[in-house]
Amino acid sequence: MASIQLKNIVKRYGAFVGVQNMTLDIADEEFLVLLGPSGCGKTTTMRMIAGLEEPTDGEIIIGGEVVNEIDARDRDVAMVFQGYALYPNMSIYENIRFPLRMRGIPASEHDARIRKAAEMVELGSFLDRKPGALSGGQRQRAALARAVVRQPQVFLMDEPLSNLDAKLRQSMRVQIKHMQRQLKVTTVYVTHDQIEAMTLADRIVIMNKGAIQQVGTPDEIYSDPANTFVAGFIGSPPMNLIEGNAQNGRFTAPGVSVPCPAHVRGSVTLGIRPEDCRVGGDHVQGQVYGVEPTGDVTYLTVLAGTKKIEVKAARDYRSEIDVPIGIAFDPAHLYFFDESGQRIRGAE
Amino acid sequence: MAKPRKTRGESLVLRYAVLGTWALICLLPILWFLSIGFRPRTEVITPEPIYFPTFSLDAWHLLVSDWPIAQYLRNSIIAVAGSVVIDLILAIPAAYALSRYEFKGREDIGFYILSTRMMAPAIVAVPIFFLFKTVGLLDSVWALMLIYAAINLSLVTWIIRSYMLDIPKELEDAARTDGASDLRILWEIIIPACLPGIITAAVIAAIFAINEFLFTLLIASTANAYTMSVALANFTGGSDGIIYNAIALVSFIAFVPILILVILIQKHLSRGLTMGAVKG
Ligand SMILES: Nc1ncnc2c1ncn2[C@@H]1O[C@H](COP(=O)(O)OP(=O)(O)O)[C@@H](O)[C@H]1O
Ligand SMILES: [Mg+2]
Repeated sequence: MASIQLKNIVKRYGAFVGVQNMTLDIADEEFLVLLGPSGCGKTTTMRMIAGLEEPTDGEIIIGGEVVNEIDARDRDVAMVFQGYALYPNMSIYENIRFPLRMRGIPASEHDARIRKAAEMVELGSFLDRKPGALSGGQRQRAALARAVVRQPQVFLMDEPLSNLDAKLRQSMRVQIKHMQRQLKVTTVYVTHDQIEAMTLADRIVIMNKGAIQQVGTPDEIYSDPANTFVAGFIGSPPMNLIEGNAQNGRFTAPGVSVPCPAHVRGSVTLGIRPEDCRVGGDHVQGQVYGVEPTGDVTYLTVLAGTKKIEVKAARDYRSEIDVPIGIAFDPAHLYFFDESGQRIRGAE
Repeated sequence: MAKPRKTRGESLVLRYAVLGTWALICLLPILWFLSIGFRPRTEVITPEPIYFPTFSLDAWHLLVSDWPIAQYLRNSIIAVAGSVVIDLILAIPAAYALSRYEFKGREDIGFYILSTRMMAPAIVAVPIFFLFKTVGLLDSVWALMLIYAAINLSLVTWIIRSYMLDIPKELEDAARTDGASDLRILWEIIIPACLPGIITAAVIAAIFAINEFLFTLLIASTANAYTMSVALANFTGGSDGIIYNAIALVSFIAFVPILILVILIQKHLSRGLTMGAVKG
């Protein structure tokens, strides 16, 4: 159990910057989720914490100790790899046992620990099989069991649920969180799935193109996005981002006209979540572009000028397309971003 | 439904007929050997066609009594098996280093290793002879073992390396985070994962070693070091002139180990050979 600090971590591959100047404090026992689109440097960050990749620059501190020069096998970190990385020649039982053998844990404890770990991921009946005889989901669970079988200082999990079907993913999610709370092991969890991130994380780190966009609790990330990237990445459907112009306390864009704070001026982007839009009103004058009933809610797409605005409407809302429609925005939940995409906060 | 099944059955018969004929053509020389080897000497050299050959163990008796075949076989086995063991001991760590560690000139070293394979053996024949003469290993199976090992080392390294390249790096990363040392990783993860490659390389090396002729002829001068390949070439049947049925039988005996080896790895053989050839 340990805290982790990343200090100005940089990872370059030749001229390409995989991770740029990353500084992050991860508290002891925290469940931290790295969230970002594919290729944004999540795996690279994780591999640097594990000691499998050397940072080009910066310091990695685990449990108060600078570990840059410490080999992966001496870091006491357990990792679940994106591609499972199960040992093909060993049975699942032997796979899970491998870290116990390597870490010199007394052989008398092995069996009980292996069975407990297998139980946690509901893999008990497959222990005799070779990885090749398991489905993708079973392999992923075996990889999880191999990581949790010992008590490391840090868990690193690289998209451990990406290959499970929706139902199993949900139950595994709960299980992982329960396990982490029980074992009290600092965990860094990588995903590109925002639901996973929101449900699991104590704090979320949103990354894009190798750089941290925002660090915060799921609530903060959702209700207080730092920039247009975070705003557009979180939520499903994500926040509407409308480019327009603000002057004299009014934001305008084709088909859109909303009052805005006086300090918001010039070329800005307005952000509004679909659930903060309401049918009826005159902030948006547009046409119905599409209606998607899903059962508990109906998604409505409104065309304003050339911009499509997503609205979360009542479950029984129905409409023909191309019908003129007015939309009202909740004035308490408007977000404004400047030209560089950064959030414009309170009055100057 | 019935009709396509019938034509499928017919085409299957046709396929077996064609393949069977082809197999027969390929096997004909071997069957011929066998037939000559188990016929009396007189029947073998008669110009008249013989439709119902007589079975005879004459050649076999001659071999066993007049010819140290057991000695030759023993020499072959010791030299070949020993050379393969040497090759594996040297090639596995070398292949691992070449497939995994980043170091300056890695690709060049790989190429140098392979280039030893491209040299005509005759070029080094004379130096090799004097080398072994100096160290007093002429006419010795140990010399043959070393030479076979040297000849095949590059190919064995190359084949194993290409199998190791196919092992995902994540596997090693996982082992490392699980706490395994480099040696452990090699022994418990890498070697088992590329075992088919190691076996293939070993068998190919064994086949080449069994068939090696030039250096064996150079080093071996008596039954001390004669292997099957050289003994076979020198064999005429002894003082009674050329005894064809005995020669045929010896040829067949020399052929059997190779046949067995090829059957053992036929599944991997083409991959092993093309890898050695193409990836260079
Ligand atoms: N060994 C490498 N050499 C060059 N580029 C790499 C290497 N490893 C990763 N990258 C690049 O770094 C970026 C981040 O990769 P990664 O951390 O795997 O992303 P992800 O967030 O999807 O896990 C990607 O654009 C990838 O192509
Ligand atoms: Mg990744």
